[in-house]
Amino acid sequence: MSADIKELQELIGRERVSEEKVRKAKEDAQAIVKQAREQAESTVRAIESDPGWEKLRRARNDEIGRKKVEIEEQYKRNVSALEKVAHENYEKAIARLIEETLRGKL
Amino acid sequence: MSIQALQTEIERKAEEEVSRILETARQEAQRIVAEANTKAASLREERARVLQRELDAREKAELAVARMDVRGKLLRVQSEWANRVFEETEKRIGEMAEKGGREYQELLSNLVLAGISAMNGNKFIVETNARDKEVVSNLLGTLAEKAGKNKGERVILQMGTLQTRTLGGVIVSTEDRVQSFNNILEARLSAASRKLEGTIRRILSGGGKAGE
Repeated sequence: MSADIKELQELIGRERVSEEKVRKAKEDAQAIVKQAREQAESTVRAIESDPGWEKLRRARNDEIGRKKVEIEEQYKRNVSALEKVAHENYEKAIARLIEETLRGKL
Repeated sequence: MSIQALQTEIERKAEEEVSRILETARQEAQRIVAEANTKAASLREERARVLQRELDAREKAELAVARMDVRGKLLRVQSEWANRVFEETEKRIGEMAEKGGREYQELLSNLVLAGISAMNGNKFIVETNARDKEVVSNLLGTLAEKAGKNKGERVILQMGTLQTRTLGGVIVSTEDRVQSFNNILEARLSAASRKLEGTIRRILSGGGKAGE
């Protein structure tokens, strides 16, 4: 084999190696983009499955529960005050109603 | 160009192509991730807004129901006290009527005269329960005289007995029974209770004056 043919064969071999590098680079590029897409989908999906929402919901439920208890306690205080005042004014109310029932025209 | 130079050129171009492909892919990946992050931030914000609105609405509704509930219970307590007043008043008026006496006689007289003055005519029937019949019968002459003075004409009264059970009081009717005036104590108490319901509640809650 002459020296020229040997060099040409070597050149063809180098070109094949180069083509292989480009093909591999294209594969790598596709993998990079695919991975980015997966990461993007996962980022968006993570919003719905974020446990923070449930935590927020629970915290608010607890707060609503506390406010309801406050309302109930305020009611008990109001009833207690009402019972006391009503008891104090019971006779006055009866006297007023008797007076109205027995007086002239209604 | 020598073979050697050609080899170097092929390798250089291949390296360039590889770099370009990878660089383009990296940029595309960055764009995709950046867009996703922007979209995610926007979605998160919207989700938070929707959830906040939902929770606000729920809190408002639940607390409104709770407040309405206790307000209802408070009103029931007020009603119970008012009913106690109405029942006790009825009891005491019944006792007063049962005892009779001058005060009750005066009341019966006033009730008869009020009935007569409220109606046209000069002949009336005065009805009471059996217990009060004798008392009113004894007053009939005086009452006819007083009513006659008030009306400016002679008034004739006749007695009747109510068949229904009552605490006391009278029903005065015209002779033809076309008109009648119900001054039975239960009717008066019922009218007074309706009229004074608000006042009684105010008195019981310490806000009303007895003279209202």
